[in-house]
Amino acid sequence: MGAEARRPRVAALALAVALVLADSSVVVLALPDIYRDLDTSVAGVTWVLVSFNLVMALAAVPAAMIARRVGPARAAAVGLAIFAGAGLACGVADQLSTLILARCVQALGGAAAVTAALELLPATVGSERRAAAVWASAGATGAALGPAIGGLLTELVSWQSIFLLQVPVALAAAVPILAVARDEAATGILTAERRRPGRPHLAANIALAMVSAAIAAALFLLVLLLIEGWRLSPIGAAAVVTVMPLAALAGSRLDHLVPSARARAAAGAILVSGGLAGLGLLPKATVLLTIPPQILVGVGLALVLSALTETALHGRSSQAIHGGWTISARHAGVVIGLLALTPIFTHDIAQQRKDAIDAGTAVILDSKVQPLLKISLAQKIEDRLEDEKGKVPTIGPAFEPLPDDSGERDEVVQLREELQDQLNRGATHAFSPSFLLAALLGLLALIPIGLARRVEL
Amino acid sequence: MSAEGAKRRGQILVGGALVAALILVGAYLAAGGASYTPEKTLDPCKHRPWSNPEGLGEIANQFTTSALDGAACKLGVSREALARALASPAARERFAKRYGIDDAKLARAIRAGLLRAIDDAQEAGALSPLIAGPLRATVERIPLEQAIELLKNARSALNDVQGLFGPASRLLEQFIP
Repeated sequence: MGAEARRPRVAALALAVALVLADSSVVVLALPDIYRDLDTSVAGVTWVLVSFNLVMALAAVPAAMIARRVGPARAAAVGLAIFAGAGLACGVADQLSTLILARCVQALGGAAAVTAALELLPATVGSERRAAAVWASAGATGAALGPAIGGLLTELVSWQSIFLLQVPVALAAAVPILAVARDEAATGILTAERRRPGRPHLAANIALAMVSAAIAAALFLLVLLLIEGWRLSPIGAAAVVTVMPLAALAGSRLDHLVPSARARAAAGAILVSGGLAGLGLLPKATVLLTIPPQILVGVGLALVLSALTETALHGRSSQAIHGGWTISARHAGVVIGLLALTPIFTHDIAQQRKDAIDAGTAVILDSKVQPLLKISLAQKIEDRLEDEKGKVPTIGPAFEPLPDDSGERDEVVQLREELQDQLNRGATHAFSPSFLLAALLGLLALIPIGLARRVEL
Repeated sequence: MSAEGAKRRGQILVGGALVAALILVGAYLAAGGASYTPEKTLDPCKHRPWSNPEGLGEIANQFTTSALDGAACKLGVSREALARALASPAARERFAKRYGIDDAKLARAIRAGLLRAIDDAQEAGALSPLIAGPLRATVERIPLEQAIELLKNARSALNDVQGLFGPASRLLEQFIP
């Protein structure tokens, strides 16, 4: 097959991998809207994210085994069709249980498509190493782009559009793969070779799980900080978190410059941890200050995910099965990250919200405005707290209408700013322990990365 | 690329990553990242000295603050939570439910707070002993709703009391040093 003929097939396979792996994070920015539309709890809505990643973690290796048995092209095409069908079901779901069930089915289809794609890529790109690199970068790009695309669609159309748009994209990716499936059926060749897959690369997969937990925290917590803490719109938050995939894109260029996978993995883990620590130590609630940490996380994730995936696949006989192990490790890491860090941050945000409101009320009580106005402002703050139960309240309306007297108005405007500052401090600080814990997780990944030294590429 | 060259590039990459991470963390720490938290509120049981109580508005302001502190201390809650609770009957109901405080207990606490405010005002020289006395006697018998009203609208109450007892107190102060 000529290079020209191979190009659409490589693009289709990379698109399939990016689409499925983006799905593990694509709904992050849509969670507040899903939470409101489906009238559920915070814990309930988290399962829209967790269910997909959990099923991917559990199904990736069995899906790879099935792909080897029935033929990778057929498995990829059927997987993408299931993914598209379940995406449609997600888009029309009007109950949380239906949405979660459809997400589980989506993950099953996705697991088949992603692992089978890795089995198909070596024949398409010419070498296993190149195939692993294409597969890993497509996955890293998809995972990093997911939240931004999801946020954009949620704001411009609706959260349902995220899933509905996946239908034509998945089907478009399936078309060139169907041609390969027809060849498979005609020739009866299922896989290039039928060797025993051997044991998975334990150290690389453990490191992948730890780093993925840290990266999931970076994406999930940053989005929550921007939307729930700093009250940005989903589209605003999407624009902010776009820095991460852009940095990841730039970071992927370093792959060619540094041949040592272990060095890239170690550098990536350090950058991810440094970026997360930066997010945990933000000195002010300003979007600009999230950019340097995001750049570090973005470059780091591109380096570490591709290096560890390459290491896990290097010299392994069955690419799909070992790719399945890496998918399993990554998504298990995401699940662990979400389940371990969400309760910590939920507890912290409740405490910080209380502290911030008390600090803001103290500013009002200690101000020079007359006591009647103080109590009236305190009442409005209390009303805002009631209206936005459990959330960091939007405080502006509590100060409307402003007093007619210009001196008193200036005083009230200053109080509003000071109260907002206390709320920003509380919201930002509430995320700090989770970010710092995620940074520690990223640093701990250096242990298995160090143990993987014998497998140099 | 030689093995030595590849190793060198790997070392540069890891070293560069380490330096970048340390610079970012160091810069954010230096800019106050570790202390960017909501300001701590003060213990309502600790005495808050009055500052320059000049003019009725300023006296009323500090009187309210002292009274809130005293009541919150008695109830074992923050002054800020109590201020929000007194803002409306609905807020008071939520507060009572959250902390298990009935109206009688709240009334006792607010009276205690008002008495502490009178003491503080007297100590700061903002209230003459001759005005403070009758005010204390009134506060000790005042019903809950009026106690809350006095706390919210201390300026008007102090104005009334001063209007009533002010001339007599000025007259007496000429004879009692």
